[in-house]
Amino acid sequence: MSGSAVRTVALTKKYGGVPAVDDLTIEVPPGEVFGFLGPNGAGKSTTIRVLLGLAAPTSGRAEIFGIAAQDVAQAHTKLAYVPADVALWPRLTGRETLHLLASIGPGTDVAYRDELIERFDLDVTKRADTYSTGNRQKIALVAAFATRAPLLVLDEPTSGLDPLMEREFRRAVAEARERGQTIFLSSHLLAEVEAVCDRVGILRAGRLVETATVAGLRRLHRSEVTVAYTGAAPELAAVPGVDGVEPLGDGRLRFGLTGAPGPVLQQLARFDVTALNVREPSLEEIFLDYYGEPVRYDCGG
Amino acid sequence: MADRALVGLALRQIRFGGLAVTSVAIALTALVVATAETIVTDRSNLASLEALASNPAIRTLFGPPIALDSVGGFTVWRTATPLAVIVGVWTIVAATRITRGEEDAGRWSLLLSGHRPLRDVLSWTAGVLAVAPLAAGVGAAAALASAGTAGALIHGAGIVMVGWFFVGCAVLGAQVFASRSAATTGAVAVLGATLLARMIGDGVEALGWLRWVSPFGLLELSRPYAGNRWSPLVLLLVAAVALMAAALVVAGRRDVGSGVLVAGPRRSSTVLLGSVGGFAVRRLLVPLTAWAIALGAYYLLIGLVADSALTFLRDNPEFSSRAGQAGFADLASVEGYTATLFAILAMPVGGFVAVRLAAFADAETDRRLTPLVAAPVTRLRLVGAEITATLLGAVALTVLSGAAAWAGVTLSGNRDLSLAEALAGTLNMLPIVLLCVGTSVLALGWAPRGVTLLGGLPGGGGFLLYVLALDAGAPAWVVNCSPFAHLAAVPLESPNWLASGVMSAFGVAATVVGALRFGRRDLRG
Repeated sequence: MSGSAVRTVALTKKYGGVPAVDDLTIEVPPGEVFGFLGPNGAGKSTTIRVLLGLAAPTSGRAEIFGIAAQDVAQAHTKLAYVPADVALWPRLTGRETLHLLASIGPGTDVAYRDELIERFDLDVTKRADTYSTGNRQKIALVAAFATRAPLLVLDEPTSGLDPLMEREFRRAVAEARERGQTIFLSSHLLAEVEAVCDRVGILRAGRLVETATVAGLRRLHRSEVTVAYTGAAPELAAVPGVDGVEPLGDGRLRFGLTGAPGPVLQQLARFDVTALNVREPSLEEIFLDYYGEPVRYDCGG
Repeated sequence: MADRALVGLALRQIRFGGLAVTSVAIALTALVVATAETIVTDRSNLASLEALASNPAIRTLFGPPIALDSVGGFTVWRTATPLAVIVGVWTIVAATRITRGEEDAGRWSLLLSGHRPLRDVLSWTAGVLAVAPLAAGVGAAAALASAGTAGALIHGAGIVMVGWFFVGCAVLGAQVFASRSAATTGAVAVLGATLLARMIGDGVEALGWLRWVSPFGLLELSRPYAGNRWSPLVLLLVAAVALMAAALVVAGRRDVGSGVLVAGPRRSSTVLLGSVGGFAVRRLLVPLTAWAIALGAYYLLIGLVADSALTFLRDNPEFSSRAGQAGFADLASVEGYTATLFAILAMPVGGFVAVRLAAFADAETDRRLTPLVAAPVTRLRLVGAEITATLLGAVALTVLSGAAAWAGVTLSGNRDLSLAEALAGTLNMLPIVLLCVGTSVLALGWAPRGVTLLGGLPGGGGFLLYVLALDAGAPAWVVNCSPFAHLAAVPLESPNWLASGVMSAFGVAATVVGALRFGRRDLRG
């Protein structure tokens, strides 16, 4: 399937024998906003460095629209990149930097770029060495969003932005999606991922532990259900998927539900239920589910 | 406790470089002392040496010889300037790296969030920086002690003071300028200008006072083994202390992360920002201009004094013939005289090449290169553009130096040197510059931190080896290790095409291998 925007097959990258990324297989179809989640040191940035051809894989493959990631002259005509920690040439002004990146980049919509400069409230007359972290990040974001590249690779792009700018970022992502651009977004800001991503991949200690839609992830996880009833309390302990039944008094009880809700609904139908409330887990809870337990490292030392 | 931590941090950052500089100081001095014995006791050697020393080219490089008939005097003459330059340059680079560089990187914000103010951190750091020149000076003095302790002390103290002067310069620069590169450039410009001032002071009698405003001049005026004068060194110490005090005053009045001179908004110019090659040229223009001014001034001066120097040599024919025996060309003709000066152009131009490619390696380390490598541009093209721009700059400097020397000679009333001859003379040393490009790019491929050192090796190291090996009467194969042994004295002789071809081929091969490796290896940063 060379139709994928991003594809890695059994990708492994070792540093001094220690795997930073281990047997990673990901496939991101065109047009998708893909969230790449994981705690610090999980291997997100290493994966991105390999995708960009900045580092060569130890084994396995990485492809951008079917082009080997190491073939940067071809692959980079298809992508624009925002690094986690943006470093700019100190003596160039913001405008000069944007001009340079547009000149050598995969093609830029100049009118849209000027609009983004306004929206991100960026003073492009200043020299880059006077920019704050957030302003350097804005330069990289404006440069990337203004390209026609079918893939945007964003590595923790909003860590230095204020909430107002974060909102502009989400707007820009939505506009990119409308244009059909694929977005590969590495982040540990779960609210952001939840707000903009179609699908997420969760990385832990260099390995992919889950890939699913945000809704799908929720289904895999425990929801919290509260019911109000009159008469006899529903008997739920034996229902598959139900755990932790807890009476709250005043004709209410709460329980956890994992998996399909069918059996529990059938059981509840036998009782006089007056209200039903299902609270899905937040991405944060899911995330902690994956990382809450101590992570084992197989490598020695 | 906090002070110990500050001292420890600064020490960790400079220990390897400091040890290396001290080792060089000891080794160089010990080597020259060991060879000096045979040279100064042999009368015929001494005579040709004195002839050589009266060649203004050698004179401007090493300073006038003062006590050539003693081991101490000879060693000081041979080593004082190279050591002072090595200690000065290393000190500047180290000082701006661990002060402004740390501040640039934001690491000092962390340090200064503790209870020590900027001034304290700065003075402790400067104090640690001062240890390295001290060690180098003590090492040089110890290696020289067998030739007489009083002279050795003066010589060692001179090296220390020069080092301290440049610690002051660099730390002040790091307060005034808001970026590491500007601070380094400023301090290196002071080093270059004061070295040039000493050279002019040595070469032009009426301007002899210039030596009193240059640390290198003051070092020379301290006359180890020929009077042992302390007063120039006291003056140098006062200057160093004043610079340091000024740095602390400025540090007390500025914000962390900024300097006194902060660039404001300016009009954007997109000239040369349309391609990778254009951008490489654009980044080159400012440093190239600085190098061009320095080299142009030096070669113009050399040209201007040529005629008077030649008159002297013609009046004393035995000098020039002996210089010929010592491996240097016939100095009594303007062609021979300029040929020796054109050969040493390989040192600064090789240095230019190494420094430019080291700046490229730095851009990789601090990730400025990332937006460029994320564009649809291969790394080979990126480094190729950088190498091409650097080479063009090197050729421009070479042509400019030749033209400046020709202009100087012609202005002084001598019509014996044509512009074509002058250019042939300077272009003749380009194979050594190609070797410098080769070692720089090899370093970029395998050891990016070592670009300056490895890149400067064929030029600076090669010349030092050549001179020292000739002094010591070393076996031919040792002399032949230096690329300078294979340069013909153009325009006096015709070029040694074979040797130039072989050196160029080595340079190009190393460049290709290094560039291919850079294209494939994982990027740092």
